[in-house]
This record gives sequence, structure tokens and C-alpha cells, in this order.
Amino acid sequence: MLATVLTLIGRRALLSFLILFIVSVLLFIVLRALPVDPAAMSLPPNATVAEIEAKRHEMGLDLSLPRQYLIWLSHAVSGDLGSSIQFRRGVLGLVASTLPATIELAVLAMLVASVLGLAGGLALFHVRGTAKEPALDLGTVVLLSLPEFLWALFFILVVGVALRWLPFTGRIDPDMRLPVTTGFLLIDSWIAGRPDIFRSAIEHLILPSLALGIAFSPAIMRVLRSSLLDVYQEDYIHLARLRGLGEKHILIRHALKNAILPTLSLMGVQFGFLFGGTLLVELIFSYPGLGNLMVDAVRNADLPIIQAVGLTYCIVVLSINTIVDSLYVILNPKLRLQ
Amino acid sequence: MAARAFASLPPWLRSGRVLIGLTIVAALAICALLAPQIAPHDPNEQNLLATFLPPAWMHDGDPAYLLGTDSLGRDVLSRLIYGARVAMMVAVFASFGAMIVGATLAYIAGYFGGRVDALIGRAVDVWMSFPPVILSLILMVGLGIGLRNVILAIILVDWTRFCRVMRSEVLVIARKDYVAAARLLGFSHARTITSEIVPATVPLLITLLSLEMGVAVIVEALLSFVGMSVGPQTPAWGQMIADARQYIYDSPWGLILPILAIFLAVFGFNILGDGLRRTLDVRVTAQRT
Repeated sequence: MLATVLTLIGRRALLSFLILFIVSVLLFIVLRALPVDPAAMSLPPNATVAEIEAKRHEMGLDLSLPRQYLIWLSHAVSGDLGSSIQFRRGVLGLVASTLPATIELAVLAMLVASVLGLAGGLALFHVRGTAKEPALDLGTVVLLSLPEFLWALFFILVVGVALRWLPFTGRIDPDMRLPVTTGFLLIDSWIAGRPDIFRSAIEHLILPSLALGIAFSPAIMRVLRSSLLDVYQEDYIHLARLRGLGEKHILIRHALKNAILPTLSLMGVQFGFLFGGTLLVELIFSYPGLGNLMVDAVRNADLPIIQAVGLTYCIVVLSINTIVDSLYVILNPKLRLQ
Repeated sequence: MAARAFASLPPWLRSGRVLIGLTIVAALAICALLAPQIAPHDPNEQNLLATFLPPAWMHDGDPAYLLGTDSLGRDVLSRLIYGARVAMMVAVFASFGAMIVGATLAYIAGYFGGRVDALIGRAVDVWMSFPPVILSLILMVGLGIGLRNVILAIILVDWTRFCRVMRSEVLVIARKDYVAAARLLGFSHARTITSEIVPATVPLLITLLSLEMGVAVIVEALLSFVGMSVGPQTPAWGQMIADARQYIYDSPWGLILPILAIFLAVFGFNILGDGLRRTLDVRVTAQRT
């Protein structure tokens, strides 16, 4: 069984690399179509045309597009993604210093989305055919109409500004300092033995991760409900009832096991979207992650950062998909046999 | 009499959800079309003597500014009404564009299958590896701001939503006997698709279109929130939120009202789509009866 699973995961990973390559080509073309000149941007405003031309030559901008791409690719493979035009720092370092914050937020939000989505799906299934169904059903449409950034603003207004229960800017209290080991505050504060910082980090994560998690939960609820409804049409459920098994036992031991598979593949797609959703939530909560780096770069047309951060998002999404697909294979006995 | 007239309506018009959705969408469409006639003020007209006014029913409210004013003393109601223009334009054009691109590819992939299908499937995979927010932002960097580019960016991002769902639907329909019969009668591929397959997919298409309009409103709002949408001279809901966010302690209303506007628009499209799905989808209707 292990061999089958590994082959499938390996094939999936190979495909991911191929996709990544195509994405990098597309990204390169889109960003080179820009009407801005990186050479002129990296020189002082009083630079002469000749100086700009020399800089263009130095940066390789006078070469053909495929040549430029190959040069970029050979550097990228060896870990050099260029330097930021505005910060004059290596892009890889900038990405590496902001990615952990975003992953921390995304993982917590996925947890929120999974718990709410699965619980909500079970609740929706539980009220099927009763008077409560239309109301709860309408509730999911309302939830589906509230994207993450509206939740974020709502939480800031109510919990942050009106009630003043939780902080809503940054990752920790501004006067706290912590040496960077992994970049993950929740881990670093444990290593340093600083429960106060751990607490502060958690408090700062609550509102952003709730905003993100809630926004991505209704789709999970609906799929779990409809897959449970499908499963309950199957003969083995009737058979289990005839055998005198309790409804709870049937749901947990028989139905849920089968209904979870379609739910899981939807969660994979949702988590990919959720990771992109961190961008706006970070912006609204001034949370120093990949999203803020990206928006900053977009506003300043900092091409090397846009390119690297775009690829990073892509790599994370592909990894999420690979992980979810592997889980799917492991949990699905039908695929295991082949 | 009225009850009988109601009963004679087609089922999709008798659904409460469809009616609610249509009402909201129609109201927004009227705001968008008649904005210059309805709006009490010029949306960009500033009154620096009357900044941060709360809505008229509040203690310090001014009846001349029904929903209050923003940081520059601009009328919030007028800006909301003009904001509906951008939202509705994007909703209609972007979703139709995404539908045309996505559905056409889905018909081709599902009908011909084989290599064409695999190629289109891979293209969808590549697109799906990019979170939509990130992809639309990068496209806006490449295209530059402006209404037409926002619409184009959303089409380029969201065609996959149509393509993925429609493809599996077409795959099923293309294997039906009546499609084979049409081919045996000597119909060309193009005619078989347009006259036999497309009509069978119209219910799904309408539902997806309605849902996509909601998505388009959200994407436009977040792009204008980041400042990468229509530019500062055109009022847009996301932009109003971005402005009001800086003055959250001075005037929470400036933030609450555009949030409500976005929610209302998206809810209208979603409830309409949900209602249409229930009444038009043969499988859902069959399950319930």
C-alpha cells in the first residue's frame, strides 16, 4: 500500500513542478509587459539617457525575452531570486522573513475553517427535513456572501474598536522583542521560554484567523451536507438500520467515513483560496507577512518581489494540493487497491 | 385571482429566493443606471465644513446628507449610489466574459475529450495553482488600473470556475444518445455542440453566471480597496472602505455602510443563483418531488 501511495504522491509532485515551471514563464511574460522600466527606477531621477541605457545593459534588459528568462531561471534554481528595487535587499531573504507569519495565520485559519465547516455541515445535515432547515440554509447563503476582508473589518469594528477586547494590528505587542529562530512566533516564544510573547502572538492571531476561517467555512459545510445526503441513499445505510444500529453509530462509523472524501477534496481547493485570502487579511490587520510585502511591491512596481512572492504563493498552493491529494489516497480504500 | 396568476408563473419565478435576489439586483441596477438622477449630491463634491457627519437619523446628523459624509465632506449616499455603477458594470461584463471563455473551452474539452480535454484540463490546473486574489493583483499590475482592465483581469482569473464545472457536465451530456443521433443525422461538430449540447447546459450556465456576478463584485471591491481598480476619481465601494478605515474612530459609519452595500450586492446575486439552481436544475427538483 505504501508503495502505491508513494507513487501517486511522486507523480503529483512531478506534475506540480511542471505547473510551477509554466507559471514562472507566464509570470515572467506578464511582468515584462509592464510599462515601467526597472533600470530607470533603480537609478536617481537625474540619470542621463546614456546612464539608463548602460544600466539596462547591465541588468540584461536589452536581451531577448527567452534569454532573460533563462538567465532568471538559472539564478532562481541556485536560490538567487534577484534583489528588491526599493529595499535593495535579496528577495529570497525578504520572502523567508515574512513567509512564517503568513503560514502561521493560514494554518490557524484552516483549523477554524475545518472545525466550523465540519460542525456546520453536520448541523445542516442534522436538521434536514425539519422546520429549521430553510433558516439554516439561508444562513449559509449569508455566510457565502461575506468575504474574508469584510469579516476582518467587521471584527475590527466590533471586537477591536467598540469592545476593545483584542488587539488588531501587527503580530505581537510593539514593545516585545524576540530573537528569530524559526520565524514562527508561536514556536520561537516557546524556545525562548516567553509565555507572555506566546500569549500576545495568540491574541493577535485570533481576529485575523477567525475572519479568514469563517469566510472559507460555508463551502465546506455545504459539501459535507450534500455528500452526507448522497451517502444516505446507499444500500449499506439501510442495511445498517435493519441491523438495528443506532443513528449516531451509523453516522459516525459508516456515513461520515464515506462523506468525508468529497469534502476533503473541496477543502484542498478551499485552502488554496484561503492562502490567497491571507493577503487582504494581513493588509487590514497590518500583519507583517507575505501579503503586506506583496501589496507594498505592487504599489511600488517592485518586479523582483512581485515575481518571487507570486511564485511563493504558487508553491504553497501546490504543496497544499499535494498534501490533500495524498491524504485522499491514504483515506480512500478504493484508490489504495489499484 | 392573484393567487392563480402567481401559480401560473414559471416555477423559477415562484421561488422566494429568486424573487428576493431579483429585487436586490434590480434595485442596484436602477441605482447604477440612474445614478446622476438619484444621487442627491455630486459624489466628488467636497464640503470641508461638514466632514464625518453621521447618518441623518443620528444625533448630529444633517438631513441634507442622508447617510452622512466622509473625511472630505463628500456625501456617502451619493458615493454609494455611484459605487453601484462600478460594481454592476464589473459584475455584468466580467461574468459574461468569464462565462464565454470558460464555457467555450468546457464545450470543446467535454465534447472532443482526449488530448484537447487533457490540454485544457492542464491549463485549468496551472490557473488553479494561483490564488485568485494574487493572480488578479498581478494582472492589474501588468494591465494598469481602469474599469476595462479590472473586467479583463477578472475574466482572465475566473474563466476556470466555469470551465471546471461545465466540463464535467458536458462530458455527461456528450455521451447521451440524442447527441449521437444528431451526429448520425450528419450534423457537424459545431452544430451538434450549439444546437444539442448548449441548450442542455443553459440552466447550469445561468446559475453559475449569477454566482460569478457576486464573485466579481467581491474581486472589484478588494482590488479597489488595495487601490488597484478604477482610479481615485471614480467612486467605488472598496475604495470607500479603504478611505474610511483610516478614520475608524472618527466615523465608523463610513466603514459600515460600504460593507453593507457590498454584502447586499453579493447576497443578492448568491440568493438568486441559489434559487435558480434549485428551480432550474432537473436533478435537484427531481430529488425533492
